Amino acid sequence: MSTRQAGLATLQEARLSLVLAAALAIGAVAFSWPLFLTPASGVSAATAPLVFALVLPLVLAVVLTELSAGRLDAKTLAMLGVLAAVGTVLRPLSAGTAGFELVFFLIILAGRAYGAAFGFALGAITLFTSALITSGVGPWLPYQMLAAGFVGLFAGLLPKASGRAELALLAGYGVVSAFVYGWLMDFSFWPFALGDGTQLSFDPAAGPLANLHRFVLFNLATSMGWNLGRALTNALLIALLGAPLLRLLRRSGRRAQLLAPAIAAPASPE
Amino acid sequence: MITFEQVSFGYPDAVRPVLDRASFEVAEGDLCLVIGPTGSGKSTLLGAINGLVPHFTGGTLAGRVLVDGRDTAHFRPRDLAEVVGYVGQDPMRGFVTDTVTEEVAYGMEQLGIDPVAMRKRVEETLDLLGIAELRNRALIELSGGQQQRVAIAAVLAARPEVLVLDEPTSALDPTAAADVLAAITTLVHEVGLTVVLAEHRLERVMHAADSMLWLPGDGQVVAGDPAEVLARANITPPLAALARTLGWERVPLSVREARRRALGEGLLPSPPPLAPREVGDPALVATGIEVRYGELVAVNKVDLRLHRGSVTTLLGRNGSGKSSLLWALQGALSRAGEVSVDGLDPRTLSPAQARRVVTLVPQTAADLLYLPTVGAECDLADRDSVVPPGTTAALLAQLGVLVEPERDPRDLSEGQQLSLVLAIQLSAAPPVLLLDEPTRGLDYQAKAELAAIISSLAADGMAVLVSTHDVEFAATIGERTLLMADGELIADADTASLLTSSIAYAPQMAKVFAPAAVLTPADVARWLA
Amino acid sequence: MAVERTNTLRSLHPLAWWGWAIGIGIAVSGTTNPLLLALVALAMVVVVLARRSAAPWARSVRAYLVLAAFVIASRMFFQILIGAQAGEIVLFALPELPLPAWAAGIRLGGPVTAEALTATAYDGLRLAVMLLCIGAANSLASPRQALRSVPAALYEASVAVVVALNVAPQLIESGQRVRRARRLRGDANRGLRALGPIALSVLADAIDRSMSLAAGMEARGFARTSGPPAKGSLAVMLASAMAATLGGFLLLSTDLGLTAGALLVLGLIGTGWGLRRAGRRLAVTRYRPLAWTGRDTLVLSSGLAAAALVLIGAQDALSPGLAALLQPEVFFPSTDPLVWPQLSLSALLVVAAVLAPLPLTRPVRSRVPDAARTDVRLRSLRPQAEVARP
Repeated sequence: MSTRQAGLATLQEARLSLVLAAALAIGAVAFSWPLFLTPASGVSAATAPLVFALVLPLVLAVVLTELSAGRLDAKTLAMLGVLAAVGTVLRPLSAGTAGFELVFFLIILAGRAYGAAFGFALGAITLFTSALITSGVGPWLPYQMLAAGFVGLFAGLLPKASGRAELALLAGYGVVSAFVYGWLMDFSFWPFALGDGTQLSFDPAAGPLANLHRFVLFNLATSMGWNLGRALTNALLIALLGAPLLRLLRRSGRRAQLLAPAIAAPASPE
Repeated sequence: MITFEQVSFGYPDAVRPVLDRASFEVAEGDLCLVIGPTGSGKSTLLGAINGLVPHFTGGTLAGRVLVDGRDTAHFRPRDLAEVVGYVGQDPMRGFVTDTVTEEVAYGMEQLGIDPVAMRKRVEETLDLLGIAELRNRALIELSGGQQQRVAIAAVLAARPEVLVLDEPTSALDPTAAADVLAAITTLVHEVGLTVVLAEHRLERVMHAADSMLWLPGDGQVVAGDPAEVLARANITPPLAALARTLGWERVPLSVREARRRALGEGLLPSPPPLAPREVGDPALVATGIEVRYGELVAVNKVDLRLHRGSVTTLLGRNGSGKSSLLWALQGALSRAGEVSVDGLDPRTLSPAQARRVVTLVPQTAADLLYLPTVGAECDLADRDSVVPPGTTAALLAQLGVLVEPERDPRDLSEGQQLSLVLAIQLSAAPPVLLLDEPTRGLDYQAKAELAAIISSLAADGMAVLVSTHDVEFAATIGERTLLMADGELIADADTASLLTSSIAYAPQMAKVFAPAAVLTPADVARWLA
Repeated sequence: MAVERTNTLRSLHPLAWWGWAIGIGIAVSGTTNPLLLALVALAMVVVVLARRSAAPWARSVRAYLVLAAFVIASRMFFQILIGAQAGEIVLFALPELPLPAWAAGIRLGGPVTAEALTATAYDGLRLAVMLLCIGAANSLASPRQALRSVPAALYEASVAVVVALNVAPQLIESGQRVRRARRLRGDANRGLRALGPIALSVLADAIDRSMSLAAGMEARGFARTSGPPAKGSLAVMLASAMAATLGGFLLLSTDLGLTAGALLVLGLIGTGWGLRRAGRRLAVTRYRPLAWTGRDTLVLSSGLAAAALVLIGAQDALSPGLAALLQPEVFFPSTDPLVWPQLSLSALLVVAAVLAPLPLTRPVRSRVPDAARTDVRLRSLRPQAEVARP
């Protein structure tokens, strides 16, 4: 690889990191809107998440565009599509059974095996595809895609480890990410879900801390089981299937990489 | 059109190269047949034509590959899309979209062809391959032959000059294979395409070949006239075996050619009239077998007896209910009717017990393999079958497969996978063995070995039922043949009389020497005296 | 360049359906009149039943009806349990249970008033009907056709989605084959213990599949026309996305509604422009691109008209003439004191907008190619021989 090519590659990496960082920042704002909504704005709690439901698809589009610009070759794309298909098949299988969600462990393992960018793309695309199949397209979808993308993204950024330590790390991450995913989704749609007539309802006038307090109580009471179920499912599946799946993914990752196709000069006939 | 100059290719960690200084040319407008045993590098050679080897696969290529004057070293496969159309082994696995027209249009979308021109080309291409009536169908619903034709249409829409096909008919029944091959020969003769085609079952296609590339397996490529190459090759379709038997220098490429020559030389084998078959004790008795899928009756009131020490062949179209019948006999499928093996009905037994009574090797045998190594598969089979450790591994060796126990079963060839599954299933020592379409993807050598294995199993007293499309294979194994159509058994007779009296199912030897009832070149040699 | 377009396989452009449904959704979000909401819901269901295709996604409306009912029920439940009760008409009283201080001083139970319960029911109904609008769009718009009209910049991502949609049913088949095959090996494990090997087997198959798929895509020219990303498009997109986010932030957290809105809109437009520009690095074309016809415009505008009607009608500072015509009070019937909700001409116009697609479109009778494709239940019953080669 020439220095020029190496320079280009670093530049591309830098661009991608920039975009992902921006997506993270925007996502943080979008998910935490109940913390800064004020009554003075005249926006009701029921329409507030819809404002960012407009912004997030564009953010996702920007990230996916940057991801695919010259980076997604046929092999990576086919792998992305096929793994998203696996997730799409797994998601309806598990829907409705208290938090028994089969899709996240795959996103985590793929993010670990193929890197943060792949993990992000897989998370977002898997949730999108399964929404298409299960007719789950709605204002919540951009939030789900972004959150699942982050689950895959951070899986790719975990520190180095191998063997049992790696599995323990991933299982731990599975637990943490399951809770964070659940809290983010619940938080941004909590005012939407509960309405505004109860004592645990979101109250724009009450200030961020009071609202956070209410949310924690409401979430503990209603969604703890779901989040815990999701976390346990992740940990269990990673513990059981993590090792062989990682082996499988890495093996085909090696196969899929262009093993520097070399074309030598014509061999001289003897 | 295609020129290979001193082409060598090897994977980084491989011991020997797949191709070793191969040089040959394929002329424009030829139908060029690539032959060679499994693992001899046919797929590599085909991939090298459009640059998938090495751009996509990795590895090191030395020498030059020129296609229509372009050196594949400087063109990526995608840049050759309108020069070379490449169709892989299983069309369903290569489809990107899910309906026929979208799949045909996909390649043109990539090339950025104007939508108006694209619409026209899609229609023309559909007509060219006779699949216009399938236009809006979902790809997954199509039959194998239809899928294969859609795959060909999908690459043809980019208007390539060369069409490369990797075993396009290996998974098809004879009728579907004939459809696909007819479409291919039309493309050669009417459109003037250059076609390079790898194929195991040469008897289907060798009559149409203009030239032939033979890969003996050591990295060499022997190019030449089909009749001459076949005379030297270690690949023996029935007509080549016949030529060898009769000492003909030139291998006849078609039944017509062979028949003319045989008649001209006054060769007429005279087999003795069939002696009545000796029938052993019935090992399996089935009565009134019926399998339904909702409205569809797949198997309709079939009565069947399989005898100890005998091989029975089950022929029939795709969808005639052969697979359903086998699955129902094994007890893995719910059905009406009675099955009795020594008084036991496998349907009422647990799966572990059932496979010790009747065992089935399914069509895609690899479905039974899921452990990471061959050794682990063998150990599990030993435990499942409650036999001493090492039994399955010994069986595998008996079947002629010697592989390291650390190998991943997925990396084995289809023949080796089949043997591994067979060894696993035989470790339970069942009295009845059912084989569903075992010759898929096997070369002549592997088929001959399989036929020998089946005969020896029968000689040991097992009752074997083999369902197959491959009449040449059927001709070599069983003394009894069943014919199934529309869910019913419509014929049950001696193989020789049933096959020779049929047009659709007659093997080539029977056609060459009709009306003499000979099935294989070995028969010819035996009865010609 | 003459672009050949098609409208044979569809009723309307999917974006027209979505625009219409979102418009109605916005209109619904601006009213709590239960009569109007019920009429809108009824009209929505009628349109869906009359205009949906036979495709699997078209059956989703029932799921959304169930979800809508669940939303109303759960809101009522929480209102009764932990509601802040306003009003005078006490329907019944639950025993009170004050929670400790860490629980924000919440008390469970207590008297339940008709006013509070009605307000919650209205609000829940509003959310339920908004959900129903989304369900209607899911039923009516074909996701597959929507995928064909994504911007060029997202082409690769859309291919990944198409691949996933195409491979998913094949994987189900593959899983069922492996599961059946395990019985042949005498393995009777069910449930979670059987899941592991099956999952591994299916995944290994899927990965193999991705390799052959990639080879096919590569050989057919995938990404051939892709050039380097257009210069500056990323900067524009990032800046615009940030601006849009800032706009959204300001919109919610301050009273600078106009500035924030402008920033939001500018950001959205800028991102859109950047995406368009980024899409130029690909020169792929589309087979039979979807046409946007007059009917699409009409349906979309009927949705937007409904939104406008409610949004304008709900403004406080209307000129007296307009107020008399639109009767804004109709959109928010009082719950304290309780009054019987009324309907007005403007409310009926909203319902008419919901029904607008009926005269503008025809029922979809054509066979939808992917209808049977996703219907794996039937296929799941068959052994694979018949499945693979019917």
